[in-house]
Amino acid sequence: MTAHIYKNKKPIIFFLAPAFAFIIVFLYYPFIQNIINSFQEIAGLGSAAKGWQDPWYSNYTALLKDETMRIALKNTLIMLLVTVFGQVGIALLLSILTDRVSHGAKFFRVVYFFPIVISATALGLLFFLIVLYDKGMLNQLREFFGATKLVDFKSKPYALFTMMIPVMWQYVGFYFIILVTGLNNISSELYEAASIDGATPYQQVKYLSLPLLRNVICTCVVLAVTGSLKVFDLPWTLFPKGMSDTWLTGSYMFYQVFNANNVDYSSAIAVVIVFLGVVLSKLVNTIFKEKEY
Amino acid sequence: MKKLLALLLTLTMVVSMAACTKKEDPATNTPGSSTDSPKATATTAPTAAPKKVTLNVTTTYAGNDGNAQNYQDAVANWEKSTGNKVNDSSSTSDETFKARVLADFETGSEPDVLFFFNGVDSNAFVQAGKVVSIDEIRQSYPDYASNMKDGMLGASPVDGKNYSVPVNGYWEGMFVNKEVCKAAGVQIPDANTTWDQFLETCQKIKDAGFAPIAVSLATVPHYWFEFSIYNFLSPSTHNVLPKNTTDTQGQAWVNGINDIKMLYEKGYFPENTLTGTDDETVQLFIDNKAAFLIDGSWKVGGIEGLTTDIDNFTVTYVPGKGDRKTTDIIGGLSSGYFISKKAWEDPDKRAAAVDFITSMTSDELVSKFAQVSATALKNGPTVDESKLSSLAKDGLKYVKGATGMASAVEDQVPRECRVPVFDGMPNLVTGKNDIAEAIQSVLDLTAAQ
Repeated sequence: MTAHIYKNKKPIIFFLAPAFAFIIVFLYYPFIQNIINSFQEIAGLGSAAKGWQDPWYSNYTALLKDETMRIALKNTLIMLLVTVFGQVGIALLLSILTDRVSHGAKFFRVVYFFPIVISATALGLLFFLIVLYDKGMLNQLREFFGATKLVDFKSKPYALFTMMIPVMWQYVGFYFIILVTGLNNISSELYEAASIDGATPYQQVKYLSLPLLRNVICTCVVLAVTGSLKVFDLPWTLFPKGMSDTWLTGSYMFYQVFNANNVDYSSAIAVVIVFLGVVLSKLVNTIFKEKEY
Repeated sequence: MKKLLALLLTLTMVVSMAACTKKEDPATNTPGSSTDSPKATATTAPTAAPKKVTLNVTTTYAGNDGNAQNYQDAVANWEKSTGNKVNDSSSTSDETFKARVLADFETGSEPDVLFFFNGVDSNAFVQAGKVVSIDEIRQSYPDYASNMKDGMLGASPVDGKNYSVPVNGYWEGMFVNKEVCKAAGVQIPDANTTWDQFLETCQKIKDAGFAPIAVSLATVPHYWFEFSIYNFLSPSTHNVLPKNTTDTQGQAWVNGINDIKMLYEKGYFPENTLTGTDDETVQLFIDNKAAFLIDGSWKVGGIEGLTTDIDNFTVTYVPGKGDRKTTDIIGGLSSGYFISKKAWEDPDKRAAAVDFITSMTSDELVSKFAQVSATALKNGPTVDESKLSSLAKDGLKYVKGATGMASAVEDQVPRECRVPVFDGMPNLVTGKNDIAEAIQSVLDLTAAQ
């Protein structure tokens, strides 16, 4: 129907062109340039390349030997699991529970969504005060319950946990809203019919809600996987410069360009991040292939 | 109808794009932004700003800096008297601040005026010609910085020219929490305390349940780095950059960092020294939980702002060993106000920037900011000692009693080249990384610059 309305395609192309040009100039061109940069020798941000690396792929061989990069990759993969199971998993649980309460559903939706509207930096500072060594909220609580020694929650082995909990908490609301919207789209008649047939609430969730939410969950998982590769702001606020070996691929890339001034090397890290993103999204799409209902 | 809709949409898009174009920074559209502008405006009378402008300014007068409030007051006064505005992005002086400023220059979003380090930290934007030399400014404004001794302005390592106007110099010393020392039953270190006596004192303080030394090795290891290697050198040799880790300076660097490692292993630093920020460890010192803190003269005001009992704090010499006397200190004039080329080429901002710096570096304000530290003022600072706190007076005595002074050697090393030692300090003291290798990396990176 719509295809026949616009027989003349020229206006469509006219309106699509600015966005297309924008994305070419500000996304694809920098991306291709970034790949080229990763093979070049660049003295500083904004400086012209001195020439090609010798050998041209030396940044990538250096990446293979870089222990910090190994730590960053390991932590990012842990972050990925935390994101998928923590963020999407908890959001799914909360959305199902909220969907089934008769009173206060709106209240819970606002409460769970609220962290999303707070900036990551503010959240970082909030958790910074919570885990502070001296006079932090957690240590004060511990002292209240009789603990005599302060715990440094930013040191190993707590550091990763301390970093990932706020990240997980921050985005639960985002996936929660997507999943709640998905649940709202399921016809209430199906639940009524299931109820008449004697299905328990658990059975209704298992045989109705979850199968019908499959495509929404799949979208959430893809977003979570790609998002976990880009996490930067909150961990950087809590653990600047990868303190206590809390490096993530995003924070290590930022550190290399803005602290170590190693622009070409950080370009190589950026390429690895994109490569991982593409491979992992493809993998997730294959595993959670969308179904037509 | 469809044609009308398409026409309306097109018109909306054209109008909105035109509106966006008009919103551009006036500076980019003014005739002064053309390349011939400096010559044109050079002939204009170098008096007040011809038009009210908003200056983008960044300094290190922020956070715990003792002059943060003085700076804000001075800016407010300047805004009131000139009608201009200041868009201030000042931040605590740390590696992140330096990185941010350098990145701003490299990406073309530099401030109009900046108070920044005049050593190698500024090399990148000086080399790129993105700041204006004082000689060039004086061609249009002959009285610019005329109240300062030119020889003390802090010439750039790039070409030996002066680019910045300093306000207050600095010294680095060891602040002491008297109450902690008293509770631990130890004497406050003085001009005669040796390094070995200092270690004994630290042990007693630790045994008494306090942290002997407040330091964040994770974020600000600079001061201990300076004094630790100074202990293996002297005022005349401290400021020489090593060629490798085996020459005299290189060995001093290795030995100095080994001393920091030894202090860490003995447990003389706070438990969170590898994860806490500088603010956190300073707070331990203020809260009577740590005895000593090495920091700069700017910390006098910082401590005054953080405590209600300033008499509980004093400043003394960092105990020395080898050729370095305990009374040999670190100090100098390492920062100043720069005007960026971008602001200079804007005829309105040029006058405002000159006026702003002239105001911020007046004898009166420099005296107010400097208090106990060095200045480049021809007439010297006017300090009313009756208005100084006991800590500030101790600071004056500290400088007067110094037998030798060397500037910080870190200023010889570009910021990004310090990374293996400064950012890597937690890994060096825990033995994860090799000290000599880290120093060699610093030297190699510096040489490659």
